[in-house]
Amino acid sequence: MDFSIIQLITIAALGSMGSILVNRGVAVFNDGLRPIVPEFLEGRITRKELAATSFALSFGLIIGFGIPLSIGATIIIAHSILLACDIIGIWSPDNKKGIIISGVVGAVYSIGVCLGLQFVVDLFDKLPINFLDSLSLVGTPIIIAFTVFPAVAVGYQHGFKKAVATASITFISYLLFARFGTFTISSYKIALSPEGMSLLFGMFMMVYFAVRVKGGNETTNSDLVNIFTERVNRIKKNRWLLAIMGGLVALVSAQMILAVDAMPQALINDGKYSEAAIATLARAIGFIPLVFSTAIVTGVYGLAGTTMVFVIGIIFREMPIVAFVVGAIVMYGEVMLLSVVTKSMDKLPGVREMGEHIRTSLADVLGMAILIGSAMAAEKIAPGMGFFWVMGFYLLNRLAKKPLVELAVGPVGVIALGILVNILHLFGLWSK
Amino acid sequence: MIKIVIGGQLNKQAIEKLIKELGGSEVEVSVKSDLEAVMALKNKQVDYYVGACETGSGGALAMALALLGRDNCVTLASPSKVKNQEEILAEVASGKIAFGFTAPSSVSVLKALVPALLTK
Repeated sequence: MDFSIIQLITIAALGSMGSILVNRGVAVFNDGLRPIVPEFLEGRITRKELAATSFALSFGLIIGFGIPLSIGATIIIAHSILLACDIIGIWSPDNKKGIIISGVVGAVYSIGVCLGLQFVVDLFDKLPINFLDSLSLVGTPIIIAFTVFPAVAVGYQHGFKKAVATASITFISYLLFARFGTFTISSYKIALSPEGMSLLFGMFMMVYFAVRVKGGNETTNSDLVNIFTERVNRIKKNRWLLAIMGGLVALVSAQMILAVDAMPQALINDGKYSEAAIATLARAIGFIPLVFSTAIVTGVYGLAGTTMVFVIGIIFREMPIVAFVVGAIVMYGEVMLLSVVTKSMDKLPGVREMGEHIRTSLADVLGMAILIGSAMAAEKIAPGMGFFWVMGFYLLNRLAKKPLVELAVGPVGVIALGILVNILHLFGLWSK
Repeated sequence: MIKIVIGGQLNKQAIEKLIKELGGSEVEVSVKSDLEAVMALKNKQVDYYVGACETGSGGALAMALALLGRDNCVTLASPSKVKNQEEILAEVASGKIAFGFTAPSSVSVLKALVPALLTK
């Protein structure tokens, strides 16, 4: 992880812009914080209470999820920066000075995270027993395992039989594309990635089943849009600011600084960019209903919107300026389509529900993949003791008063083990 | 007899099973999407809302917070803090009706929450 000056400038711009948007109450990244913001804007809670809530909601995820999963990776998890924008923006005063303070602190913090992660990696590199190479094993299971998530989501939504059908089609298309996916058409060599193609087939099945769910005469979403027209207009009023933010997010995604989650992160680490783009797209589809509905009822948008801008970044990774422009257009489009898309969910109740199941399934698949990857990494660092360590860490964490985020338990455990063997080595209790 | 609706986004089936085990015939449980679940509570078709997600407040409580207001909602477990039995009892006593928690903490939270709601 070595950052160029240009990369540091763009990440500073992102952190700065993000913190300012939060400071002005235009957008926040944490979906849980969004509903609290109007409570403040409309004077029911104080800035202090809002600040305390923002800290409670986001700090744990930054130090317990974003940062540990980014150590030793080639790309940082977006939560490390964007959740911090929530805290920085809200902790800065609510006036003109606050805009400047949040902008400056946001920029300094973002550069700090990048350089800090670089520093930690350099430090670990100097230790007598190197465990950074083993740490990269944490992401290995994700690279294949992520293709199963549509089948799991179908299972949660439509039951076991359709899940097995989806899993079988995913599996068969994987086998077929692995065997016949590379071919030559008039001297052009075409290589279709089996992971990417099987994921696409799985997603196709998932959407197909969801669209077939018939809606009644429900008007819940239209009602919401009508009740909260003023709040929707508030978001639309800020469309230009949000478009710039969308462009910046697409830009840092294109420059391979930020990934939206652990799944695309692991794929990018492995150089699988198109798979990462598809996985990011799938994740974004899962988040559209949640982001849109919370945005409509609060008048506060998401810093990265539906996170579709991350997909744009990965697609245009060779052309960062194009990524910025297209990202801005996409974010602008999201804001303008907010009401229309949400209303259409009444007619497609299966699609709205699919969002929930995608998020559950992603969390489950990712959780298991990272746990297994962590156990593999720990076993590589300390053969014989690794499995004991990671499983013990994972299960004991559940009993803790202040537990770590489950996704991060494995990686944190592995890093702790790496440091421990170095300490033991220092006392002559561990041989290389 | 109390009616509980399960919204939120994670582990809905597991939470349903758990509440049924804990509450037996005293509790009527239904599972809905987060939006419909909150609407059911708002329209007084049910008495309480519970939901789980990664953070205990995002997917779990976002719609409830937006439509019912902060006074009615509480996060019982976040990634960094799980409330204990006394704290959960106090939240129930203070009149909260919508509860969010993290998926991994479901078991410990519900073990305290369901009896507390039943004795209220």
